[in-house]
Amino acid sequence: MNLKLLLPLFLAFALAAGCAPEKKELVFAVGGAPSELDEWESVIEDFSREKGIKARLLRQPTDSDQRRQGILIPLKARVRNPDVFLMDIAWIGQFAASGWLEDLNPYINKEGYDLGKFWKNILDSADTFGGELVAMPVYIDAGVLYYRRDLLEKYGVKKVPEHWDEFIAVAARIQEKERAQNPKFFAFVWQGAQYEGLVCDFLEFATMEGGGIGLSGGKIKLDTPANRAAAGLMRDLIFKHKISPPNVFTDMKEEEARLFFQSGNALFERNWPYAWGLHQAGDSPVKGKVGIARIPAFPGRSSVSTLGGWHIGISRFSDAKSEAWEFLKYALSRGTQKKLSLALGWNPARKDVYSDPEVLAKYPHFRALSEVFSGAKSRPQLPYYTQVSDVLQRYLNSAVAAKTDPASAFGSAEKEINAMMERYK
Amino acid sequence: MSVLSKKEYRPYYFIAPLLVFICLFILLPIVGTLFTSLMRDVTFLPQKFIFLGNYSDLLRDEGFWRSMRFTLFFIAVAVPLEMLLGTAFAALLDMELPMRGFLRACVLIPWAIPSAISAKIWQLIYNYSYGLANFLITHLGLSQGPVNWLGSEGGAFAAIVIADVWKTAPFVTLLVLAGLQAVPHDLRLQAKIDRANFAQIFFRVTLPLIKPVLLVALLFRTIDSLRIFDVIYVLTNGGPGGSTASASLYAYKYFLGGDFGYGSAVSVLLFAVAFGMSCLYVKVSKFESEI
Repeated sequence: MNLKLLLPLFLAFALAAGCAPEKKELVFAVGGAPSELDEWESVIEDFSREKGIKARLLRQPTDSDQRRQGILIPLKARVRNPDVFLMDIAWIGQFAASGWLEDLNPYINKEGYDLGKFWKNILDSADTFGGELVAMPVYIDAGVLYYRRDLLEKYGVKKVPEHWDEFIAVAARIQEKERAQNPKFFAFVWQGAQYEGLVCDFLEFATMEGGGIGLSGGKIKLDTPANRAAAGLMRDLIFKHKISPPNVFTDMKEEEARLFFQSGNALFERNWPYAWGLHQAGDSPVKGKVGIARIPAFPGRSSVSTLGGWHIGISRFSDAKSEAWEFLKYALSRGTQKKLSLALGWNPARKDVYSDPEVLAKYPHFRALSEVFSGAKSRPQLPYYTQVSDVLQRYLNSAVAAKTDPASAFGSAEKEINAMMERYK
Repeated sequence: MSVLSKKEYRPYYFIAPLLVFICLFILLPIVGTLFTSLMRDVTFLPQKFIFLGNYSDLLRDEGFWRSMRFTLFFIAVAVPLEMLLGTAFAALLDMELPMRGFLRACVLIPWAIPSAISAKIWQLIYNYSYGLANFLITHLGLSQGPVNWLGSEGGAFAAIVIADVWKTAPFVTLLVLAGLQAVPHDLRLQAKIDRANFAQIFFRVTLPLIKPVLLVALLFRTIDSLRIFDVIYVLTNGGPGGSTASASLYAYKYFLGGDFGYGSAVSVLLFAVAFGMSCLYVKVSKFESEI
């Protein structure tokens, strides 16, 4: 083989490939369940047809870590595709601080786009970074409590308990009675495995004054009486009151909790709103027996829900920013939001969809949800939130598993996170 | 310029494609990772050369040490088990058994299944509420109630070791079986004539002859276990309480969080350990002269 000939040939090809005129095409990166991707596929087709903009879906996996990796790498390499993508609410801090997200304010000001259709608390706490509006919600999640209406009625419980002491008493009583027929029965399932969902659940338990992830002066504050009480309660639900199964802290994520509840083996379930549609599906054993309530709080405190959900942002490296903005508006339009909601049971980001008669007829629980959303709390919008959460998950899981007592778990987590924060100053 | 004649050059043409491949896909990434590990390469901070800054932070990072200790302990337990079981299976499959071809194919199945999928299968087996393991022990009356297999540190560790051994012992079997087939039949026959028993033949004749193959298997398994990731990612994701986080998983979490410098430093240290171990094995076994 003659190398002297091969090299120029190779260079010529490389050059030709680099210079080939490329047609501008909008690339929208999104992942999720196959049904969700199919729905997006039809949204993007309609968009292309109506607006005359060539657009394509970049299909991503279901797993959210893998979706993140799939967007993170092109952005880090400053590649122009994908132009527009969906982000989990917890990534926005990192993406924005890295300077990857286009500021939407100029577009909004230029066109007088109405932000009043969206929840202000969500735009402020999740989508605004350093004064720039870097993302917009596409659908919203917040933790809710599912309960078995039929069982509460059967045992004469008139109202879903709002505080933990009452909740535990009711749960223990019904569990004992139900166990006679169903030895697998547990009163309450939630997310306790070592992953992000554990932090979401924890923040909902930490309703007392001074609870949650405290930040001041570049230091983190975790070891507070409120947090100790929250982690203590989570542990006690499993080990002392025994109303939550022992595998809560090993393998219970959203789907594990949903399946447990849905098979009729639980009275209460903490989960995101997505579970509603599945609980009410034709083949669900608990169909028509489920209700939605707010998550209980400590006595004298009010309920807290962690805010979740997916947000849409435009890449700063995109070569089709105005087209991307058109798509963003299209995805957030009333028509698309309603379509996605009706097809997938998503909780729309727009308030006006919640009063749509067609949507309400299909999802009567939306009335209760819109109230939950207006009070839902975001996780801290730190650029290095993932790393903070990772350490916290580890120690929290250990405390919930009764391997470490809450005080020393939070003490160690604080120390480790503070050392890590030093690195990012 | 060269002392090699034209003819002596020829082999290099043949290995050139391989060399290019290795340089592009192995050497280059290693050098790149090494370089990144010397930088503060965090997506949300300005990039800066910090020399050994990441490493000095790592040495003080309790989470890293924990993951390193876990990884080494995992190797110490899993690799000997894999070697033992793999060799035993190879010895069995080397014998004249009925349906030998079928059995050989069966043994290879776990190895042919992608790790993530086999880990998912094990997760279903260990599941607390509907897993096979709990079904068996409760129905056989071995335990009063279901056991939370992945709930304790020891349980999760054992579960990972079992899943990994199940998956990789066949790899050892494959290598050792190939080694066994290369052992001349006459030697064993001769030993038999000398009235050596089965154990004597195996330990005195066969084993010394397949030692190089065993060492290769050991080397592969050790290095492979050092970067264990997929089984843990699926099975426990590092839980409970971070007790089963391997070093690769630890690095991955930093990559995901946008801290490429720190993640690379973990990878480089892992590479250094793997490289050191390889050198040690080669030295101890006088690898070069025997194969």
